[in-house]
Amino acid sequence: MTDYTLIGKRMPRVDSRAKVMGKARYTADLKLPGMLVGKILRSPHAHAKIVNIDTSRARALPGVKAVVTGADTEGVKWGVFAYTRDQQFIQTEKVRYIGDEVAGVAAVDEETALAALDLIEVEYEVLPAVFDPMTAMTTDAEPIHAEFPNNINIHVNIDTGSVDENFANAYYIREDTFTAPEESYFHGEPYAVAARFDYDDCLEIWMPNGGPHMKSKPLSNAFKIPLHKVKVKKITIGGAFGGRSEICPADYICALLAKKTGSPVKIVFTREENTIATRQGHAMITTHKTGVDKEGRVLARETTCYMDGGAYSSTGPIATSVPFLSMEQAYRMGSVRYNGYRIYTNKPIRGMIRVHGRGFACGLDTQLDMIAEHLGIDPVEMRLRNSRQPGEFTSTGSRVCSCAMDETIKKASAAAGWSEKFGKLPPFHGIGIGTNSVQTGFPMGIRGGSQSFIKFNEDGEATVMSGVVDNGQGNENMLVQIAAEELGLLPEDIHLVSADTETTSSDPGSYSQVSTFVGGHAVKNAAARCRKKLFDVAAKILKTDSDKLTAKNRMIYVTDDPEKSVSIKKTVRVALLNFTSVNAEGGYWPRVDMKREWVSNPYGQMCEAFSFGTTVIEVKVDPDTGQVTVLNAVACQDVGKALNPLVLEGQFEGSVAMGGQGGMLTEYHDWREGRCLNPTMLEYKVPLVCDMPEITDIIVESVYPENPMGPYGAKEAGMSIAMSAAQAYAGAVSNAIGVYMDSFPLTPDKIVAAIREKGQA
Amino acid sequence: MQIMHTTDITLTINEQTHTLAVKPNDTLLEVVRDYLDLTGSKEGCGEGVCGSCTVLLDGHPVRACLTLALEADGSDVTTVEGLADGDTLSVLQQSFIDHGAVQCGFCTPGMLMSARALLNDNPSPDREAVRKSLSGNICRCTGYAKIVDAVEHAARPESGCPDCHNGETGGDHD
Repeated sequence: MTDYTLIGKRMPRVDSRAKVMGKARYTADLKLPGMLVGKILRSPHAHAKIVNIDTSRARALPGVKAVVTGADTEGVKWGVFAYTRDQQFIQTEKVRYIGDEVAGVAAVDEETALAALDLIEVEYEVLPAVFDPMTAMTTDAEPIHAEFPNNINIHVNIDTGSVDENFANAYYIREDTFTAPEESYFHGEPYAVAARFDYDDCLEIWMPNGGPHMKSKPLSNAFKIPLHKVKVKKITIGGAFGGRSEICPADYICALLAKKTGSPVKIVFTREENTIATRQGHAMITTHKTGVDKEGRVLARETTCYMDGGAYSSTGPIATSVPFLSMEQAYRMGSVRYNGYRIYTNKPIRGMIRVHGRGFACGLDTQLDMIAEHLGIDPVEMRLRNSRQPGEFTSTGSRVCSCAMDETIKKASAAAGWSEKFGKLPPFHGIGIGTNSVQTGFPMGIRGGSQSFIKFNEDGEATVMSGVVDNGQGNENMLVQIAAEELGLLPEDIHLVSADTETTSSDPGSYSQVSTFVGGHAVKNAAARCRKKLFDVAAKILKTDSDKLTAKNRMIYVTDDPEKSVSIKKTVRVALLNFTSVNAEGGYWPRVDMKREWVSNPYGQMCEAFSFGTTVIEVKVDPDTGQVTVLNAVACQDVGKALNPLVLEGQFEGSVAMGGQGGMLTEYHDWREGRCLNPTMLEYKVPLVCDMPEITDIIVESVYPENPMGPYGAKEAGMSIAMSAAQAYAGAVSNAIGVYMDSFPLTPDKIVAAIREKGQA
Repeated sequence: MQIMHTTDITLTINEQTHTLAVKPNDTLLEVVRDYLDLTGSKEGCGEGVCGSCTVLLDGHPVRACLTLALEADGSDVTTVEGLADGDTLSVLQQSFIDHGAVQCGFCTPGMLMSARALLNDNPSPDREAVRKSLSGNICRCTGYAKIVDAVEHAARPESGCPDCHNGETGGDHD
């Protein structure tokens, strides 16, 4: 086993010091000379034609510096894919949800900006609106986008063949439908954006983002300016969870206001705006028909999923695919037919949350429990009989190399005392298990790879440049840890320049759990090349061969004779005096099938590595109130290689909180005619510390020396827990009350109703 | 652009006294962030739920977003910027770093102030007391486990926190 200095160690994060001192600057903290306050006028209607907009009174208000509407735009439409470009940044013809952008204002202070919004007169012609996907698909529903018949935004069809004949051979078949409503991120930091055009007509812009390069390209397109003139700047980010990846209309509006006024402009969202006008998780109605043999092994499955996509496409094709893909990675499915439909409604836009499409909420684990009970099989054994094995191919043709799914199932259930508890707990106590798998870096075309550049400074310290962004998950520390390990430096010797489009090369962003696997890999490769250059110089100083050297603790020494050494600082200086470069670049592109496409060709290698996670939850339920108390949580994930267990545990624990405790018990949106009734933290119930159980974290590694995949073998940390935790919570509550719940989340009213219904039966 | 009447108030913030002309609707959060550029305290919800704006007002934790600046006239205010002694972090701050209690960091200032208030009142809190005292601060990243670990550790004698464990120095308020 390789003896690492930093990799695998519990290293406190390098970015924490600024954060505990209150010195970390987030976008809302920015103050630039002459900065104006920007505000956005949003649609009060769920669906309406814009007949006329009169901004004259707003413009006349003292202190107002600019008012912009759709008429001021180039009319460019945004879409993640060429075939989903359906969203203008400011609407010109009609609005499609309550919150859609209609106009923007820049003024000297917030009061004036808000007063100006009230003075903008918009004449609407209200149109019939539709708020649920099943109604939206009917022929008499009002079309939300003319070019999409029946309001079907995306249809993903996967069919591996032989489905019907395998159903015919099944010993037992059942079909169940599960529903889940929308949910929201409730990031710590409400969305904010600050923008200015500099002396060279370059756009400088700061905002929380899931990848600066994912922001710069659409801004370049929208303003019709070259990419190098869009400088997305580094800023501390208060959480993303998938909700900061796409361009936000506010980015464009803020930049447009800055352009019009010639002054910096900052827009800070209210909590309500953050909920309504960023992204939400899709509501889903999912039917699984599953056929198994006598031993419970799945022979055939047909899954149909209807997803409420809201007003625009967002990441539609991905969102419509991932719920299925996560399950096909976790479990062998025999023959499969999948039909996923993403449907437009007049509600806020749905994108990814944690991962796309609430994959964990579609009930497949619950149905496995139902089948297991029918066949008299323990739920843990049921999973082991169907779990993904290393070396296999998924139904859609991805080879799974690194995989320790079984180990996570066995370790999590053992740590939770499954065999002593399942079926033996007192009334209204229950235990449940969930498993899942997520992608690490799916095909992302031109931006799928990451590149890094490292330069040594003459004091022996190094500057590392990487496009990887840190949303709070610890990516900066990960990059520093890798660079310091490879270069033989201490973490404090690494100066990181990251997440800035002017100085860093293209990178996929923190998207599809790819930052470590791709971005970390790029830094590792750059550092290895840089080290090689140093070693070539040091070898001459130490009169040996460069492949006989090791770098550690700021020194380069002969591996078999550590007394012979030279400092990295001296080596750098000698190199420079001898006209030798000590800079290097490195990149990494995941080995995926670039021909794979979400809709037109959903087959081929999806990504290079998959993580696998199992969560086991134990609960007790108050049968009178339906209140759930979580007694114990075990989170166990195959992460490939744990680069920093301290950080990984934090990811696991946060995943149990958001994916399980919040996602399955308390978090959901209420609606009335397209208006969200609980957009604030007061009404939307995210977990508090007093709600949370103690969590046991179990890290499983699956490094294959001959094929380490990610950097040092690392995959991703935490997302498979977020995904599996929800199902474990559902399983535990169902086990406690003796009713399989099919409507998520499991709120007290539903639990009490289920108990009563069972009692009456 | 509205002209609003202002009133002079005196605030001692992190041991520095300021006389400020504030508007009647200015909150304490706006004063520390916008007037004094102490942007460590965060606005997460603006309605007193998330706890990211928590500061100590005469030693007691308050929601700065719900506290009018006028109400704080004549008070001592401690913000997250006042926890360290120059570049030397407090034991509590260091414990947050060492235990991995900081992820995105947006809730961290408020968490630290709530924890500071707890330790001032109860230098030897058990885990349940820590959980209870932090229940007004929302964190979306950590699942809270490592934050509770960090506060528990800071309260142990071996942590060397001068304001914790058995009230050796009694904290920074009466």
